[in-house]
Amino acid sequence: MNATAVESRSGEVPSGLDRSPLLEIEDLRISIASDGSSFEVVKGVALTVCENEIVCLVGESGCGKSMTALSVMGLLPRGIAKVTGGRIAFEGRSLLSLQKRELRRLRADSISMIFQDPITSLDPVFPIGSVLEEVIRSHRDVSRAEAREIAVRALMEAELPDAADRLDSYPHQLSGGMRQRVMIALAIALDPKLLIADEPTTALDVTVQAQILENLRARQREREMGMLLITHDLAVVASVADRVAVMYAGEIVEEAPVDELFSDPQHPYTQGLIRSLPDISVSKGSLHSIPGRVPPPQVPPPGCLFAPRCEHALDLCWEASPELSRDGAKSLRCYNAQPFEIG
Amino acid sequence: MTELDATRSSHAQAWDERVAAYENEARANPWRKKLREFNRNKLLFTGSVLGILIVGLGLIGPLIIGSDYAGQSLRNTHLPPLSEGYLLGTDQYGRDLLVRLCIGIRVSLFVAAAVTSMALVVGMALGMCGGFLGGAVDRAVRSVTDFIWGFPLILVAVLLAGGLGQGLFPVILAVGIVNVAAITRVVRGEVVVLRAREFVEAARACGISRFRIMWRHLLPNVMAPALVLASYYVAVAIIAEAGLSFIGLGAQPPLPSLGKMVADGRGFLRINHWESTVPGIGIAGLVLSVSLIGDGLRDVFDPQLRHEAKGVEKG
Amino acid sequence: MKRTASRLAYTVIVLFVSSIAVFYAIRLSGGDATAAALPGSATEEFREEFRDRLGLNEPIYQQYFTYMGRILSGDPGNSLTNNKALTDMLTEHGRNSLILGGTAFGLVFLVGIPLGILASLRRNSWADQGIMSLSTVAMAVPNFWLALLAVWLFASTLGWLPSAGCCGTKQLILPAVVLAFEGIALTVRMTRSAMIESQNSDYVRTLRAGGLSEWRITCKHVLRNALIPIISLAGLRIGQIVGYALIVETIFGWPGLGQVLVNAVLRRDYPVAQFFSLVLVALVVLGNWLADTGYTIANPRLRKST
Repeated sequence: MNATAVESRSGEVPSGLDRSPLLEIEDLRISIASDGSSFEVVKGVALTVCENEIVCLVGESGCGKSMTALSVMGLLPRGIAKVTGGRIAFEGRSLLSLQKRELRRLRADSISMIFQDPITSLDPVFPIGSVLEEVIRSHRDVSRAEAREIAVRALMEAELPDAADRLDSYPHQLSGGMRQRVMIALAIALDPKLLIADEPTTALDVTVQAQILENLRARQREREMGMLLITHDLAVVASVADRVAVMYAGEIVEEAPVDELFSDPQHPYTQGLIRSLPDISVSKGSLHSIPGRVPPPQVPPPGCLFAPRCEHALDLCWEASPELSRDGAKSLRCYNAQPFEIG
Repeated sequence: MTELDATRSSHAQAWDERVAAYENEARANPWRKKLREFNRNKLLFTGSVLGILIVGLGLIGPLIIGSDYAGQSLRNTHLPPLSEGYLLGTDQYGRDLLVRLCIGIRVSLFVAAAVTSMALVVGMALGMCGGFLGGAVDRAVRSVTDFIWGFPLILVAVLLAGGLGQGLFPVILAVGIVNVAAITRVVRGEVVVLRAREFVEAARACGISRFRIMWRHLLPNVMAPALVLASYYVAVAIIAEAGLSFIGLGAQPPLPSLGKMVADGRGFLRINHWESTVPGIGIAGLVLSVSLIGDGLRDVFDPQLRHEAKGVEKG
Repeated sequence: MKRTASRLAYTVIVLFVSSIAVFYAIRLSGGDATAAALPGSATEEFREEFRDRLGLNEPIYQQYFTYMGRILSGDPGNSLTNNKALTDMLTEHGRNSLILGGTAFGLVFLVGIPLGILASLRRNSWADQGIMSLSTVAMAVPNFWLALLAVWLFASTLGWLPSAGCCGTKQLILPAVVLAFEGIALTVRMTRSAMIESQNSDYVRTLRAGGLSEWRITCKHVLRNALIPIISLAGLRIGQIVGYALIVETIFGWPGLGQVLVNAVLRRDYPVAQFFSLVLVALVVLGNWLADTGYTIANPRLRKST
């Protein structure tokens, strides 16, 4: 059954892994320093995004998924978080060893990013058109009029209503959804190859969320962009992802094509997440939740990070950390995977 | 949870204990944590030591060396510090500078205490009423405080001195009025935020009277920011009193005010500059210690208050 | 537009209320107005006639309207001590005060903002720590004492600058610096924290993600946003300068409005005290209004309505 799901999927979208990878992250480690002590929040993440595929990075807040995304852009908050190890490569070039200048050239032009909160993410004192124009002209040698044209086209593609008349609007004159469309326009204006979207719909109304996601997916397909979508919302994952990586406490615990992940999740954490999705077809079913809570990053468990919350934990799980083992298109970090049963 | 508990391994128990220990440490008694911050906070420490020294000098000094600040000795005028019988020397009338310094510090402290207690009591009452009751009361409180807050303190004081005559009273009144406005603004702002918070909503839903909510639930919450701000205004009061006395509008002779002493010494800078320098150092030390304590308290209690403190006026 | 208009209306009301406050504060004083103007030997009848002539025996609200009428018609009266016309005094001393106050105001921003920016860009460096410690000390030193130190150092000891007088550039330097000193310190701190807040904001992250250079982001976006809170407190800086001018002008013998007002209060020359109080209060109120208008212009959220 799983095999058929993959085949049907690969009919419309070629499976990602057999093409040349756009973004490769290997063994990425990020530490946060606070109050004189420092602790790891991203612990050896490996992730690949190829052209024309949407990879979703899923996990609860604080699991390190946003830090992973920011580190790709070189935008980790300075003086607080820093990359302490690993490799990030874009089209084979290592991003971590790039000069500031070279990294800057890549931003928006080759890799761009959309952030979670559109309300605070736009400069309040300049009209949106002028910021778009500034970003475009810092990468392309075009006149102001040409830059404005590019800006209007991007805004139209982001489906901002009356795009041409909005160039002189200030952010405060736009709604949250409209501001997120401006952010999308900013991100796609220069036809980047990779788009990173960090919880792009979390701060928006449910009705707007669907439109924004639909729009992002359409732009991704027509440009054949690679896209890394970061979210905590499995519904979002189900509706847009090609491939999914599940992150827990700073580690990737499972990675699989989207259909397989939902139909046959392997890791107990993934299983718990899927089980805890409310099922609208059952009107009075009890809600499932994963027992316990995420370990504080300052006190990591000795073995598998999920062991304290896992009902199948063995002694081994407490003593050694499982490796992420690859099996075809799927990866799993677990010593004692059990078949998935609903409920 | 239950299915887990039944099969808890020794590993799980060990880990639970580790997490619990970590969290206990992190949660530690908040007052102990504050106390630790107090000790670690260099600003607060330096300020307190300096403050205790100066206040001690003002309060205890006269008990030991006497408090005859007006006694003249025309044979011993303009003596430099460390002269026989006069540790800090004398002024143009041969009055003991050390005694006058001590009494001057007392005057400064008296003005600061009077002004600050007035500002705290009236400011907190007005701010809490305005912020919590809202409506017409709030509008009235806001327009009056905005009106007063915009005025430079020295100008208000000179105006009042013009009306009430020179002396300490108009100075206290002027500085007090302006400081009341400042405290009211901040407390009102805090209360408006608090009013929307769950615990106040809950108290209201339980039918607790408005007065009781203000007294029992709001007051403890606005106390910290009000006190931190008040420590800034102690500095403002000391500087204002000294400045006004300097130009002749504050304390009247022979009562020594530090500002007046600086002014008296002006004419003799070439003969014995200590007559101006000693009280000047006294003022600067006093103000510096209060500002350091204010900065330190702010760091410990309320990092968010920075913005308000930035607008603090001394003029 | 609506905001600007309502602020203007508010300003007019504030002016009106404060004119009443000033009038009452000074006119209701227990002191006897005739003491300053007439010799001690003047008879009681003569004093009574003098009060009548000045309208001091009328009801106070009537005095207020008479007085404001005279001011608005351009004849606020004469000084009691030297009988000079107040309007002449205003032009003469007002000019001096404008020179001094304007210079100090310029110094506050032209020195304070660059130093604040420097501190914010080199955060936690020795330059930052030096600037911040200096500004803490600068805020603790009362300006009259600073004035004395400056006179002692630059005038008495080094002999570079005159200790008092009016109104050349050399005489201007010391009082202007002293007057601006605390304002500079406050502006440095404000600028620094506003810059840092802006640097850490989400929109700066967006601009970085857009590939703009750090230099461009700082000079254009961070600075532009940081200016908003700085401008919003410019009114306070004006008030501060007006207030301190009373002390600094007196110390340096700079014949401006502040010195005139302080002398008038000390000599109980109430027409002068009253008139110049009104002038200074009006200056403060108008300064606040100007700063608010600047704030409205700087902040697009207030400029246009949604």
